[in-house]
Amino acid sequence: MIEVTNLSKVYPDSSRGDFLAVDNVSFQVRAGEIFGLLGANGAGKTTVLRILSTVLSPTSGQAAIAGHDVVGHPELVRRHIGFVSNNTAIYDRMTALEMVQHFGQLHGMNRSEVTLRCDELFRQLRMEDFRDVLGAKMSTGMQQKVSIARALVHDPPVLIFDEATLGLDVLVARNLLNIVRDLRTAGKCLIFSTHIMSEVERLCDRIAIMHQGRILDTGTLRELKERHGEEDFEELFFSLLSEHERGQSASVPAEVPG
Amino acid sequence: MRNPTESSNSNTPRTQSAAQGGSWRSVWLIYRREMLDQLRDRRTLFTIAILPILLYPLLGMVLLQIAQFKRESPISVCVLGRDHLDVPTALFEADSFAEGLDEGGGKIELIHYDWGTIKLGREVQEETSGWIQDGRFDLVLVIPPEFLDHSARTTQEVANLQLYYDVTSDESRVARARVIAILNQWQSRWVRGELAATGIEESVLNPFRLDEVDVAPQQSKSAAFWSKMLPFIMLVWALTGAFYPAIDLVAGEKERGTLETLLCSPASRAEIVWGKLCAVTTASMSTAVLNCSSMLVTSSLIFKQIPLGSGAAVGAPPLVPMLWLLIALVPLSFLFSAVALAAAALAKSSKEGQYYLMPLMMITLPLVLIPMLPGIELSAGTSLIPVTGMFLLVRSLVEGDYLVAALHVPMVLGVTTLCLWLAMNWAKRQFEDEAVLFGSQEPFDLRLWLMRAWIQREAVPSRAVSYFCGAVILVALFFAKLSGGEMPEDGFGFAKMVLYPQLMFILVPAIAFALLCSRKPLRALKVKRVGFGTLATAFALGVLFHPTYLMLSELVTTLYPVSEQATEAMKPISEQISQLPWGLVVLLIAVTPAICEELAFRGLIFSGLERNGQHWGAMVITALLFGASHGVLQQSICATVMGLVLGWVAYRTGSVLPGMLIHFANNAMSASLERLASGQVPGAAILFDVSEDSLRYQTWWVILSVVLSLVSFWILNRTHQANGMDAKARDASLPVPEAVNDQEQSETLALTKS
Repeated sequence: MIEVTNLSKVYPDSSRGDFLAVDNVSFQVRAGEIFGLLGANGAGKTTVLRILSTVLSPTSGQAAIAGHDVVGHPELVRRHIGFVSNNTAIYDRMTALEMVQHFGQLHGMNRSEVTLRCDELFRQLRMEDFRDVLGAKMSTGMQQKVSIARALVHDPPVLIFDEATLGLDVLVARNLLNIVRDLRTAGKCLIFSTHIMSEVERLCDRIAIMHQGRILDTGTLRELKERHGEEDFEELFFSLLSEHERGQSASVPAEVPG
Repeated sequence: MRNPTESSNSNTPRTQSAAQGGSWRSVWLIYRREMLDQLRDRRTLFTIAILPILLYPLLGMVLLQIAQFKRESPISVCVLGRDHLDVPTALFEADSFAEGLDEGGGKIELIHYDWGTIKLGREVQEETSGWIQDGRFDLVLVIPPEFLDHSARTTQEVANLQLYYDVTSDESRVARARVIAILNQWQSRWVRGELAATGIEESVLNPFRLDEVDVAPQQSKSAAFWSKMLPFIMLVWALTGAFYPAIDLVAGEKERGTLETLLCSPASRAEIVWGKLCAVTTASMSTAVLNCSSMLVTSSLIFKQIPLGSGAAVGAPPLVPMLWLLIALVPLSFLFSAVALAAAALAKSSKEGQYYLMPLMMITLPLVLIPMLPGIELSAGTSLIPVTGMFLLVRSLVEGDYLVAALHVPMVLGVTTLCLWLAMNWAKRQFEDEAVLFGSQEPFDLRLWLMRAWIQREAVPSRAVSYFCGAVILVALFFAKLSGGEMPEDGFGFAKMVLYPQLMFILVPAIAFALLCSRKPLRALKVKRVGFGTLATAFALGVLFHPTYLMLSELVTTLYPVSEQATEAMKPISEQISQLPWGLVVLLIAVTPAICEELAFRGLIFSGLERNGQHWGAMVITALLFGASHGVLQQSICATVMGLVLGWVAYRTGSVLPGMLIHFANNAMSASLERLASGQVPGAAILFDVSEDSLRYQTWWVILSVVLSLVSFWILNRTHQANGMDAKARDASLPVPEAVNDQEQSETLALTKS
């Protein structure tokens, strides 16, 4: 479903020199699978996911979703994904229902389709009691649900969650993880990026650990633990990172300023 | 929780059918949402709808109140020495001016004293001045004792009536006009009395009468006022009405984080821009229309109430011709909205967006103000100025000059369409530019910035440095022009006038910026060796292009005629050119600018602007800056075209030297035209067609030179194709590790030092 090959992204910055945010990243995600992207802030996760959602274009390398190239057919890619991130806010001056309906219509659904789908989604996500509340008056949890409904309205085969639990309280975050699991059961292809290790451990089928724009290692939790001989996931993460940094300072001159 | 997606049974989205929906559907959906959003925003509603509806009636009310107050407040006049008025025609009757003398409305409070009745502590003049200054009276009329003496009245100055008033006080000036009118009436009544007494016909005084007839029809009389005022007000409001929604729709969305939500929806960037643009245009047009109609309604009511002095010419606006204004509003609103949208996209937050309003107004207002200047009419020249042309076209239509209007419609529409297209593209490019959409905002620290700029300066200057250098040069030249107003009288003065700005304000900044802001000053100035063939071709091109350049400047002066004043002012310069030795003239007019201006414009500024492969942008911007550096409008236009040619050569050859030769050859030809034509150079005269008052190239030479210059262009293009490719390849490559390393080392050095 998702194929990423040798993806790189450079941000031009005239005052500090060009910044290599994503460095030669490759991975695949299949349908019915949750792929976890784990890394500290600034590791390049958001950039990768923004490229997948066609909001940014890659400097080099390819990425395809459901067989559609992100550069060649961005509009087809956007039709096949639902993107939830803490950067994709909801409109303040629209109600929950209007918001979801608006995006449904942008996806080309007609009025009756949208109404039916909204009824269904609002029931499933338990949003019926705030369907007519304006975005500005919702709690963070409500807003998050509206975002998810907005991403699911066209029933996409691929869903991308970028730091989606950021700023949510425990209850709401737990709720979100349940929704993600249900989506896997429904056969969706999911990418879940986070910097919280416990979420990755509990949720993801396969994990990629990102640091300074590179993927250090990919595999199931079991595979990773066996490969690095480390049972504790947190220890594993940090040993990978420090190993990477040692290797870098020893051999290659720093190509990644900052 | 139940599975939210249980209803789906395949991995294809529900929206396959949507692809056929067409892009207009998305545009409409986005437009509808933005409009809904704006209508739910209290601030927008207030500024677009409520403010204009309330503003003008409130203003009108205040105006009426003031007018009422004005009419009711009487003028106070003091007459001193009434007892000296022993004349046949009475100025006063009882306690006021004599019947029929005072024609103006409003009351006059008249107080009069006999000469002896009040004690004057000081001189009369001092005393009465004091009365006016402390506000006791608006005006004092003094009738001196000598006025009694019949023979002294016309011969001695001491017998003159004296009127004391204060020019800084409105009341005093009004009183003065009133009293002077009264005195004039009194004088003519007196004269008529005298004539009657001596038996002379009154017609001796006025042998004939004069009737003035205004032939302008009533419609265009009132239109004249409104056709100037209304478009101005409408356009200012259209701009304001476009700006705030534009900020909210782009910068506001960035700030609230909803822009990314929209960007990852199926709507394409173009659809988003169109939807937003239509919404902003709607807001802009509603603001303009609501403001103008509210103002029209209020003002037509007010003008009924207050008959102004020239009130007959104002009156209610003719409504039907005003429809032209509405039609013209559509493209102009679109234009303003597109510009505002693109400018707002540069801002990362609404607050930052507000700062862009001022520069935008500064650019647009002159275009709206030009048509308000006296004597500006729709003509070939003015129709080419964006916004102004449309404004003048509307005025012609409103005033009923349909023929003039029809003649200029194609040009105005062409210019407006071009501007619209440019603005639209700019807006669209903003939405496709990742740096604009996702650029982060960092706090600015001047010291840190300067340090970084010095440590990390690269081989060529940054874009910011280039722009800054251009601005420094323009500002310096402007002040130099303001301060050095005198025209040179001798050769030395002329040399100083030419050399000083060239060296001080163009060459020095360019070299200073090159030394300070780049690692390789010579590369920054684009001083690079090129082959002899290229140099020869460039020189030939300079000579061959000159006829074209002359034609261009002739065309420009026909479109925008040089004022007689300016021609007069230029005279001493052309005299100097023809009197000074030829070598010196060429040195001053050709060699100096060729070196100074090329190093600055095609050198430093160009090399910074063409970073990241933006060669065409660099050409256009340097050409505009180069044009602007020439003080006279007609010169500026020609210089801009020349700038494009020189920019292209600088890009193709990668060096400033061929440009210098072209510039030199072109200027040298201009400076030596007369000498060449008069046969001082053997053989050159055959190229020219000399008549009484003009000097032209022979037609055959013009045609041949155009062909040959095209050939030169082709040669330069061919020989330097490799260079263009090189530049592209260089730009596309990633940062060179060596350079980064170098940079890091100097950084560590700097750190250890500090």
